[in-house]
Amino acid sequence: MASDRNASDDFTGPLKRLLLVVLVLALSGIFLLWRIDSPRVERFRAQVVDSIVPRMDWAMAPVTASVRLFRDFQSYQRLSEQNAELRRELRQMTAWKEAALQLEQENARLRDLNNVQLDPRLTYITAVVLADSGSPFRQSVLINVGSRDGIVDGWATMDGIGLVGRISGVGDNTSRVILLTDATSRIPAEIQPSGQRALIAGDNTSAPPIDFLENPDLVRPGDRIVTTGDGEVFPPDLLIGQVAQDPGGRLRVRLAADYERLEFLRVLRDHGARQVGSPSALILPETIPDSGEAPSPAPSDATEPPGDG
Amino acid sequence: MAENSPARLWTMRATYLGLALMIFFVHLLPMQIMPQRLAGPDVLTALTFAWALRRPDYVPMISIAAVMLTADLLFHRPPGLWAVLVLLATEWLKPRGRQVRENTFAAEWLTAAMALLFITLIYRLVLALLIVTPGMLSLWLMQYGMTVVAYPLVAGISYLALGVRRSTPGEYDHTGRPL
Repeated sequence: MASDRNASDDFTGPLKRLLLVVLVLALSGIFLLWRIDSPRVERFRAQVVDSIVPRMDWAMAPVTASVRLFRDFQSYQRLSEQNAELRRELRQMTAWKEAALQLEQENARLRDLNNVQLDPRLTYITAVVLADSGSPFRQSVLINVGSRDGIVDGWATMDGIGLVGRISGVGDNTSRVILLTDATSRIPAEIQPSGQRALIAGDNTSAPPIDFLENPDLVRPGDRIVTTGDGEVFPPDLLIGQVAQDPGGRLRVRLAADYERLEFLRVLRDHGARQVGSPSALILPETIPDSGEAPSPAPSDATEPPGDG
Repeated sequence: MAENSPARLWTMRATYLGLALMIFFVHLLPMQIMPQRLAGPDVLTALTFAWALRRPDYVPMISIAAVMLTADLLFHRPPGLWAVLVLLATEWLKPRGRQVRENTFAAEWLTAAMALLFITLIYRLVLALLIVTPGMLSLWLMQYGMTVVAYPLVAGISYLALGVRRSTPGEYDHTGRPL
């Protein structure tokens, strides 16, 4: 038995080592390929997700529903408290409703006067949230529509009220939405009424900070934040949220979308959106803008210091 | 000897894959869409380490690589990196299992925690070198701590519910090789 054992060890030992080397090379190869040619590997990832997650859906839907039911049940315990709060809010809302009706009538009259057509390109596809990212480091959700339904990378998604995120990774039947709270999310935005431009840069917290703000003095907590059409990333004027100030004095966004209860999302069809096909397209535009005028300021800058001296 | 029959071996190999699928399922449930302040334990890695230390034959290299690569792809992590690190760590742990089994549970726990710390550090280092945002350090530390704390739990449940116990020195598998 002992010789038998040694023989089989002699036989399997090198084979195991070979298998280990092959597996390590394959896995590190995938990682390096991902680092070099991200869009291709991300498409592969979308296909893998597309083939696995919809198959879990039959079990996920009831489990999710029962956990929600249980959470709702917990909130029934505070029923009377909530009831009083709702009554208070309802009184405020009646006043707002009156104001809104008057404004709506006025708006309709003015539109009629101006003969305004609403943008017909902004139609939407409604999707159900299938799964979340499954990791505390990434903030994204999977939705049940994909390239079969005409979804394209880069489109904006909203819940009923505010912007939720951006499509990134489309499979046949599923696609991934990178939420505004994800650490890689950067959305160009405009703060109204001051018209300041800024970037909403997600940092894995529930209230993403406002970056690259030109003049923070013009911005007050409570100002509305909407998207801009800058860089052809998103259609303009989608509501993102309100400005809020954290205890450290940093300006952040209180998101308008209700992230606590994301069940249905609207994916806005946006045929003007810029699409990223190859890795270099992320960095370089196809044609360099103003290439004829660029050299002219440089010589004038160079000649200025001697003139001053 | 009946306990180490081929049927039992293949059942346990399949059980590992089934458990991994269950863990994917629980992680993917759309329950936590708000960013979390707390990071939960990485149960999948703890399970893999526990099984690799206790019964290396239940977790062959191929299943570890397949499960971890799928996890990378599903959980939106850089694909392949965590998989290759876990694979190397388990291959390092498997021969250690034979030494550790004669010692107390604390030694096993310490070995697993050290391996995890080592691959976590390499993971963050590689991501930093290749300029990929690795995520908040505090969350990583919390996840590391939670995984180490969860390890005895995972090992205990595998022992009580599935009978994954440390093999004793005199034990042979069905082909007659010592475990």
